[in-house]
Amino acid sequence: MMPTSTTGILGHFYEPADALAAAAKVRDAGWKHFDFLTPFPIHGMEAAMGQKKSWIPYVTAVLALCGILFAQGLQNYVMVWDWPMNFGGKPFAAWPAFIPITFEAMVFWAALGSAVIAIIAGKTDTIPQPPPMLVKTGATIDRFVLWISATDPKWNAAEAERFVRSLGADGVRLVDVKGGADA
Amino acid sequence: MTRHEASPYATVMDDGQLTGRPIVLAGAGPYGGDLEVPEPLVTGGKTWADVDRDICMHAERFPTTRWWIAFSIALAFLGVLVFSLITLFYAGMGIAGVNQPVGWGSFIINFVFWIGIGHAGTLISAVLFLFRQQWRTGINRAAEAMTLFAVACAGIFPIIHLGRAWFAYWLVPYPNARGPLWVNFNSPLAWDIFAISTYGLVSLAFWYVGLLPDLATVRDRATHPWRKALYNAMSFGWTGSHRAWRHYESAYMILAGLATPLVFSVHTIVSFDFATSVMPGWHTTIFPPYFVIGAIFSGFAMVITLMTFMRGYFGMKHYITLNHMEAMAKILLFTGMMVGFAYSTEFFMAWYSGSEWEGFIFKNRAFGPYWWAYAIMFTCNAIIPQVFWFKSMRRHTLVLFVVSILVNVGMWFERYVIVVTSLHRDFLPSSWGMYALTRWDYAILFGSFGLFFTLFLLFVRVLPVVAISEVKGVMDPKVARGTPTRAAAAAIQEA
Repeated sequence: MMPTSTTGILGHFYEPADALAAAAKVRDAGWKHFDFLTPFPIHGMEAAMGQKKSWIPYVTAVLALCGILFAQGLQNYVMVWDWPMNFGGKPFAAWPAFIPITFEAMVFWAALGSAVIAIIAGKTDTIPQPPPMLVKTGATIDRFVLWISATDPKWNAAEAERFVRSLGADGVRLVDVKGGADA
Repeated sequence: MTRHEASPYATVMDDGQLTGRPIVLAGAGPYGGDLEVPEPLVTGGKTWADVDRDICMHAERFPTTRWWIAFSIALAFLGVLVFSLITLFYAGMGIAGVNQPVGWGSFIINFVFWIGIGHAGTLISAVLFLFRQQWRTGINRAAEAMTLFAVACAGIFPIIHLGRAWFAYWLVPYPNARGPLWVNFNSPLAWDIFAISTYGLVSLAFWYVGLLPDLATVRDRATHPWRKALYNAMSFGWTGSHRAWRHYESAYMILAGLATPLVFSVHTIVSFDFATSVMPGWHTTIFPPYFVIGAIFSGFAMVITLMTFMRGYFGMKHYITLNHMEAMAKILLFTGMMVGFAYSTEFFMAWYSGSEWEGFIFKNRAFGPYWWAYAIMFTCNAIIPQVFWFKSMRRHTLVLFVVSILVNVGMWFERYVIVVTSLHRDFLPSSWGMYALTRWDYAILFGSFGLFFTLFLLFVRVLPVVAISEVKGVMDPKVARGTPTRAAAAAIQEA
């Protein structure tokens, strides 16, 4: 499940370009446990946040191979081994006839598997996220919200606040759920 | 001004001001020449918050009278479908028009027709995504929903065509107590099961993945705690975290890349149902591309029909602009010519092959007892879309609407011509016959439209009909941002 952190700092920006510039500064300042909550994906954000490319394509490749093996296994098992039938003297292992189903099974496994794993990855392959009730910051509407979690090894509340303000963020807000959200 | 500053979407325009031609910025080019930028995709100077409100509004209020009227009509037709299907199962296939020699009738025609309708949705969402056609963002959500509902309609027909629909599960290869008796994997009919079910489920996954961020938007706008909880669960607690966007975008690209060959494979396999038989008029290598292009053609016509309603009744004019409609009209013109070319090629090959039967079938198609079906098909599909050579016609809402309906009539008759004319006069003149739809065939055909429109009308009530997060991404931040820039705020204060 998604890790959450009870303490951290939020600050928001109004334009994707500002968010990108801020992300690069946060990355360069050495913060690790930070994230941007945005209404739409920003091109170039991965690099600005210092992330590697997503590993989902490797999952897709493996699943596609599984789909191919499944379809080939099923068709050859049925048509050659379990119940071979003679259709006009044609070979039992009629591989060209097995191609359409092999293709469909490949797409089926790869597409559905990738979709499910991407959704799970979005929840698990992440840094501690802000508590759910504090997420309503407009990040699904028109705000680009920077979150730095207190779990970051560099964390120091006063310094973090000064740093986020120095980025030009608006609505900077120190969060400590146990002690109540600070304005 | 640099190219970046002359952002293509920066200009605030109203829908009526769109011309479909690029805006020329004199002297703004990199070397002092003119710079041409496209017109904005979203008109009316909308902000990101406006997008949320305009699109979610329909799902957040009590339905309008017009919606209730439309829904009642759709539901009545759905009732006709349900009643006809019950009658069909009770009385048997005798009430349908199929008989010797025409053993494939309206059910197969409707199946191919509906699957074809679905193809435009995947084309818009996947192929246009890979080609970076940003205008797709306004229409892709509704078009993908159309795909799902069209596949749902299509799925009914092969099952009822079986005659004994309660044995439909025999088509699925699973270890069973009947031998086990397996399906024949050499048969295109078995390939169809895999193709259609894969297509339906992958389209669903693609559509749902695209919906996730928008469901979160609906959740964040919701006031009722149950509504909030429901949409939160449906969006899997989406927060817009960029660490999630990273995987999301990768998966979305992969789904587009997989859906693209999938959409071509599905109608190819449907065409194999015909092409791998030895019937003259069916046994041709042209069938796969001919079916695929016809599917895209009819699907785009259906998208134009639906978008006309969405522009008119749902006030989506700012998101689905005349420029969007014109772009779709261009695709209709292009695919219409491809379809016309395929019709002509078939005739040429029938003559050039020197096959007596092939030649007879095509003469019989165009000039035999079903000449009227062929004439409707050729007129609606190859001739009428030619009006879209004129820009004024491509931007005329009524013309677009009428042509889109006619194209779908023509495409239904294309399948009618293919299925019926090849079968009704085969190799043996003593077994020739005629085919006509019975009242139950008509009831099931029109009833399937009831199912389609019922599902579509429910969709527009509960989900965002335009892909909010994608539309936001193609708007200019300077226009769309939530709070005015500091400079603008200062200017307002001074005034």
